Amino acid sequence: MTAMHALDEMVDAVVIGTGAGGAPLLSRLAEAGLKVVALEAGRHWQPQQDFATDEEEQNKLFWMDERLSAGANPIEFGKNNSGIGVGGSTLHYTAYVPRPQPDDFKLHREFGVGADWPIGYDDLAPYYDELELFLGVSGPQSYPWGPSRPPYPLSPLPLNAAAQLMDRACAKLGIATSPAPNAALSAPYFHPAYGRRQACTNRGFCQAGCSTGAKASMDVTYIPRALARGAELRPSCFVTELPLGRSGKISGVVYVRDGQREVQRCRHVFLCAGAIETPRLLLINEIANSSKQVGKNFMAHTGLQIWGTFDEMTRPYKGIPGGLISEETHRPPDADFAGGYLLQSIGVMPLTYAGQVARGRGLWGDALLRHMRNYNQVAGINILGDCLPHEDNELLLSDECDGRGLPKPLVRFTAQDNELRMTAHADRLMRQIWGAAGAEDVWAYQRFAHTIGTARMGDDPGTSVVDADGRAHDVANLTICDNSVFPSALAANPALTIMALALRTADRFLARAAQGDA
Amino acid sequence: MSHPPSVTYASGAIVRLIGSDLMTEPTTAALLRRLAPVSDGAHSTILDERQLALLAAVAARLVPQTERTAAIDLVGSFHRRLVEGTGVGWRYAELPAAAVMHRTGLAALNASAAAAFGSEFVELQAAQQDELLRTVQSGKTWPVAWRGIDPAMWFEELLATLVDIFYAHPLAQDDIGFAGMADAHGWPDVGLGAREVYEPEPVPGEQLGA
Ligand SMILES: Cc1cc2nc3c(=O)[nH]c(=O)nc-3n(C[C@H](O)[C@H](O)[C@H](O)COP(=O)(O)OP(=O)(O)OC[C@H]3O[C@@H](n4cnc5c(N)ncnc54)[C@H](O)[C@@H]3O)c2cc1C
Ligand code: SF4
Repeated sequence: MTAMHALDEMVDAVVIGTGAGGAPLLSRLAEAGLKVVALEAGRHWQPQQDFATDEEEQNKLFWMDERLSAGANPIEFGKNNSGIGVGGSTLHYTAYVPRPQPDDFKLHREFGVGADWPIGYDDLAPYYDELELFLGVSGPQSYPWGPSRPPYPLSPLPLNAAAQLMDRACAKLGIATSPAPNAALSAPYFHPAYGRRQACTNRGFCQAGCSTGAKASMDVTYIPRALARGAELRPSCFVTELPLGRSGKISGVVYVRDGQREVQRCRHVFLCAGAIETPRLLLINEIANSSKQVGKNFMAHTGLQIWGTFDEMTRPYKGIPGGLISEETHRPPDADFAGGYLLQSIGVMPLTYAGQVARGRGLWGDALLRHMRNYNQVAGINILGDCLPHEDNELLLSDECDGRGLPKPLVRFTAQDNELRMTAHADRLMRQIWGAAGAEDVWAYQRFAHTIGTARMGDDPGTSVVDADGRAHDVANLTICDNSVFPSALAANPALTIMALALRTADRFLARAAQGDA
Repeated sequence: MSHPPSVTYASGAIVRLIGSDLMTEPTTAALLRRLAPVSDGAHSTILDERQLALLAAVAARLVPQTERTAAIDLVGSFHRRLVEGTGVGWRYAELPAAAVMHRTGLAALNASAAAAFGSEFVELQAAQQDELLRTVQSGKTWPVAWRGIDPAMWFEELLATLVDIFYAHPLAQDDIGFAGMADAHGWPDVGLGAREVYEPEPVPGEQLGA
């Protein structure tokens, strides 16, 4: 049963944020018998009653406090980037969960650019194994790329039209493909930790929230397990302050609930608010920043999309959006850039597509209406590619305040040479693939996805914010665990790795606690 | 690059789905709310009558409505978003907040109309209005007061907002044959060409040409 702790009770840990970083960590700490409280800015939804298959209605899942975007490639936040609510951004992630490859963690060693991780693939591999079983990942029996690994627990989800078109074209061009790993159930799944979850009904609305529970968002997996093991969950609590006591440790976490300021005393704080709100909280509170690295090295995956219109009906709202994958471009032989990318087929919801047509292509008037009337014949492919940390790409506090009286974050992002070369390579290749698939009216949507970096991990306290275990170099009882600790972006979608880091961070913390050193 | 011919769908297929047992309750409720008339932000002073008329004239060029989609209140919804401060979670750091940006942008558009053609935007021929809008979209403009706002960025915001309002509406979704809201039973078959009987098909022979 879920516990209730008094504010002046000294709990073992407060976890801030319940997304990909916060939820698995919360669960692990609760399982070990710690008294833990999770503070989450957003609501705790009941998907079956609360989620509509309607994009505008589901805007409630996105973080809508205004962020300011600058640089040559300003990042679109909101719908394109981060979530709010119990489950965080996993409420609206597409559940595409490829693992990174071992060389992703040591780009600097391989290419002399970017940054290496203080940990490697082998440190995370056991957690990837555990997560794929726990979440119920659907994927191929044998995955063609990367180190050997156990088969995915569930068979792949059915290929939708975009996946079939990509498969067909890649076969012609001799590019190997595979059904993609997706953290959505291709068959009903039972796990003692959270009970039974239904199979995916192919609604294709993962990015607007899953009403069936088939998608492994945190609210239907780690959160129920954490609650069953005694964690206390406080939704609608917005954390504002992390005051340091005389010992130099955080004495309690200050948050606002129903307009009231409350303080929860605690021994340890786990900050898991995502790669924008985590550095923003640190900067507002002026803590953990002796390295001056908080907010630095903001990264966003290269995410170029290529769209085309086909003679056949694709009805792109159906099926798991990212059905097919190819990692043949992980280290392309003809690359003029460091790192690499993966290829992915993509379905799309109509409002998202219309918005991209408006912003990316600038179509209006009759041209817009005509293009949109062919929505049912549209299909896309995109890449997910590495992005190197760069000193010009950063998060700062702006002089403008939001409704809570806190400074709005300002994020500067300019794609650098490496990202531009990689994108140009991908543009050529994807146009070739879509040409082979029979696409007409092919167009590119330039996109940078995911918010990464801003509180990076490293062994040197002078150039990083946290150590390899997520512990802040400057504040003894603060641990950070979310997308902000990534030293480099990795050529794989981030959520699985964030969850793996969360489990590892919890295990390292518990091991130290067992030795009396937490 | 060849352009495929544009197809059309018979009207009403989607609207008939609403309230049927093919749609879950939360989805039905959301769509019924969307179909209801937009309550006007009567007390607001963000845009005055003249600016609203100008916005209506601009919207008619950017997202032209047909008899089938005439009931979508683009201007009312646009204004309500401004009044309620509904944003999208971010904005270009170079642009001011939405209300100031759109007031300034609309005024500058009108001033551009005067500079280019000697009359207000609403009085111009459609072709002149389009020419003006294309110029603003390309970032070029007449020497009028943009007060530091990049014309192309403003145009993108204006267009994106109107498009977002339009295609969120069930009548516009009907126009493009979208049936994803029929969510009660899921989609047993998702491959190329797969179709359930309640998913609309293009009207044969009715192609608009590209
Ligand atoms: C549309 C979309 C599709 C995506 N698809 C994929 C995909 O297919 N595969 C993949 O791997 N990744 C995907 N991602 C990315 C993935 O969702 C994120 O990388 C991941 O969830 C980030 O985890 P996190 O723990 O860093 O932050 P989040 O999951 O965003 O969690 C942060 C939590 O902290 C809370 N919070 C923030 N500030 C405060 C505060 N002050 N007080 C209290 N609580 C606070 C937030 O409300 C939120 O719940 C997608 C993202 C988007 C937007
Ligand atoms: S496609 Fe499947 S996993 Fe995605 S939202 Fe729909 S039912 Fe959930």
